Amino acid sequence: MRFLVLFFALILSACGKEPLVQTKSYVFGTLVDISIYGETEDKAHEVTSHILQDFQRLHHQYHAWQSDSELSKLNQSFASGKTPVEISPELAQMLGQAQVLSKESQGLFNPAIGSLIGAWGFQRDEFTPVEINDLAIQKLVQSNPQMSDIVIKGNTAFSKNPAVKLDLGGYAKGYALDLALAELQKQGVKNSLVNIGGNIIALGQHGDKPWRVGIQHPRLPKPMATVDLQSGWAIGTSGDYQRYFEQAGKRYCHIIDPRVGYPAQGTQAVTVLIPPNPQAGVLSDVASKPIFLSAPDQRGNAAKAMGVEHYLVVDAEGKVTLSASMNQRVHWLAKPEKITVQ
Amino acid sequence: MVSALKWSKPLLGDVLVILVGLIFVGCLFKSLWHNEQAAKLQIRLGDKIYATYSLDQKRKIDIQGSLGVTRIVIANGKARFASSPCPNQYCVHQGWLSHKGQAAICLPNQVSLELLGAKKPFDSLNY
Repeated sequence: MRFLVLFFALILSACGKEPLVQTKSYVFGTLVDISIYGETEDKAHEVTSHILQDFQRLHHQYHAWQSDSELSKLNQSFASGKTPVEISPELAQMLGQAQVLSKESQGLFNPAIGSLIGAWGFQRDEFTPVEINDLAIQKLVQSNPQMSDIVIKGNTAFSKNPAVKLDLGGYAKGYALDLALAELQKQGVKNSLVNIGGNIIALGQHGDKPWRVGIQHPRLPKPMATVDLQSGWAIGTSGDYQRYFEQAGKRYCHIIDPRVGYPAQGTQAVTVLIPPNPQAGVLSDVASKPIFLSAPDQRGNAAKAMGVEHYLVVDAEGKVTLSASMNQRVHWLAKPEKITVQ
Repeated sequence: MVSALKWSKPLLGDVLVILVGLIFVGCLFKSLWHNEQAAKLQIRLGDKIYATYSLDQKRKIDIQGSLGVTRIVIANGKARFASSPCPNQYCVHQGWLSHKGQAAICLPNQVSLELLGAKKPFDSLNY
């Protein structure tokens, strides 16, 4: 009889649900999707809610167009003079990191162009066409706001250039991924996948298989490929298909070329894959932008300058170019007719 | 007669019969006892897949079968035969289908519905 009870218990336990807890919520104006594998449901929910609270805090503290955020207050003081003001140690560290990355990208990653981003209407929750004021854009470009204009000393900062207006839209989600990974590890979670608006970082794996992510097709409502993300790897895409508006038949996307002040036109999407690294999340967010903004023959160099080996580019005509190492990692769901391996 | 009904110690064969029975029940339980919501509706016409629709929409679909037009309705994550030219209307009486694996068939007009799950080829989407 005892044998039968045991036997029945075994059969029933096989019917149990897979130990995967997936939570979707809305932070940073985008979808946040956290999967935790192999923990009890209570533990998974507890850790997830902790991470989401962290994300909410980051969202409010570094919001680019809510006037009471720490970032907006810093922007106000940058605009009003060269008096150093106190900032949080976290913001000081973020700005330091962003300065290094901006330099590596030769200014193509430039979070100091908040005024330009605002002029193009991308500092709003909805993307409706704006009246394009060429003269105003020209002036904003000439004012030449650079990350190197910011002087950080201890926990104070000021800007040598009053035109500097920070918008961490291309950085903060990546920073949040790194923060989430550290928190998951601190809480003893072994397996998790965190997705903030398409930027994803992996920890451990999904059961006996690595976490698998789909790469969105920039023009069709379906993924074009999948990639297996081993523990610690991150993936990020910059695309012209999520935040954009159309005017007179032309698409204006949210990725603005700081050199000319206009949205980039030559690219539909750039995906980068980043190996384990304390700033893997940040790099997955930041490193795709310089590649996106570079001319076709400069994309390889732009990737190299950011230390990126794995990248995939879909150009304006939909043609796919990818690095040899990336080519080994992607599994096509809808293989493009022509792909070029660099 | 009475002695034949008397309990005796189960033999190996008895244990095996019980065991096989339990495994069978366990497997049935596992395969049938799920209430996973469906994500897609697959419609077949004759021996071919006519179309696959997301259940995440409100939609009427008219299909020309051998007897006439069968109307299928999708709403609130469910699907059903709304009308059919067939004589006995069994398919319409099946009502709403809402869970993965559920199916309804209209034999006379050769239209069948099957609900599919949301099994994705990946864990999360990079966009």
